[in-house]
Amino acid sequence: MRKKLDFRWQYIRMSKKSFLFALFAFLYYDSIAQAGDDFIRSTGKIYAVVGVILVLFLGIVFYLFRLDKKIKNLENNHDE
Amino acid sequence: MSIKNNWWKILSVLLMLYVLTVGMLTPMKSGIYGVDSISLKASENTVVRVEGYNSNYDKATDLRAWLKFDSTHIIKAKRISVIDYKMADIAFDLNVTLPGTSEVLPATLIIDNEMDGYSIFPEGLVVTRNKMEGLKPLVSSSLNDLHQAKGFKFPYMNILHETIRNTFFHVAIWMAMFLLMTIGLIYSIMYLVKPTLKYDHVAYSYTAISLVYGVIGLATGAVWARFSWGAYWTNDVRLNMAAVAVLIYFAYFILRGSIEDQDKRNRFAAAFNIFAYLAMIPLLLIIPRLADSLHPGVGGNPAFSGEDLDNTLRMVFYPAIISLILLGVWIASLRTRIFQLEEKHIDKINKASFLVE
Repeated sequence: MRKKLDFRWQYIRMSKKSFLFALFAFLYYDSIAQAGDDFIRSTGKIYAVVGVILVLFLGIVFYLFRLDKKIKNLENNHDE
Repeated sequence: MSIKNNWWKILSVLLMLYVLTVGMLTPMKSGIYGVDSISLKASENTVVRVEGYNSNYDKATDLRAWLKFDSTHIIKAKRISVIDYKMADIAFDLNVTLPGTSEVLPATLIIDNEMDGYSIFPEGLVVTRNKMEGLKPLVSSSLNDLHQAKGFKFPYMNILHETIRNTFFHVAIWMAMFLLMTIGLIYSIMYLVKPTLKYDHVAYSYTAISLVYGVIGLATGAVWARFSWGAYWTNDVRLNMAAVAVLIYFAYFILRGSIEDQDKRNRFAAAFNIFAYLAMIPLLLIIPRLADSLHPGVGGNPAFSGEDLDNTLRMVFYPAIISLILLGVWIASLRTRIFQLEEKHIDKINKASFLVE
């Protein structure tokens, strides 16, 4: 049981980390957008397209992490 | 991993690579980015400074410009002094009898050269009439011999500029979401007709990935809106209806997770999925079309059809949809396989879920 709880804590930490990473990435992007509007809007707003692709990628990766977590759970149960 | 069974996964990745390379590297058509002042005062030498986008004013040999009032009153520029590849001063002789009687007239600026094709300044200019006596008659020129842009290029649209490339990601992911939700719906109906555990698992998997796509669709839309409309979220009907549709699907997962009895839960989930799908159709497809919106195609905004979603965009847009659908099918199949593994270890999972979750 002790081991299980540790794993659980690890997942919470992991998802916390990825959430914080996504939050910081967004805040960074937004701060660029706020401070240097010219940068995102330079060369015909191409960096807005980059932002959209990043959001798409991060969204899919987020779901893959959740699947990873489920598989890890299964593996841990399987080992016992 | 055999190629025979997994070719569609490879196809999905190859199509996404194609979308990213062709979608990002294809240049935009030339356009008019802006002018120094949209209000012109008619005189013998009215000069407007034009900033072009992706233009070759300095290299072009046949650079011409017109001011069009209506189809029979078109004034050709008398002199164009090119500053660099994207800057030019265009001089018109507007000391002529302009059509109509109103003091200010709307006019359209058109620039044409043999390298970039023709481009139109969409916002239009306003010309203040010269009320001097004895003006020359207006000699209208024709716009028949305009050049077309050469090569494989995406259309230039004002305000959107390069973000028209977001069509391949933002719009494509909504289309892919629709198809994946439809697959989920079919499996939900199949479950209600013939309650087999596998149908429930497949329906859940497809609904889960389409919810992820829906959230991504909202988030990518927010980023796009920030740089074309000025805010992450607007009171656009389509935005709010899409958010409601996504929330209904969130409810599907919350309610499904809250029912303990497996049989009851699966039947409820299948029924709710049908309800959610039927609710989504008016929310995403019908109501936004009736109301005013900033989106293209509604409220008098031009749609991405005809000239706008032209063949160059289609050549990337359709592969993007297919790629995202295949990726979704792939991820949904992973989720289904997790279900199958869980079935195998159901007893252990029951024990573990008591401890872990």
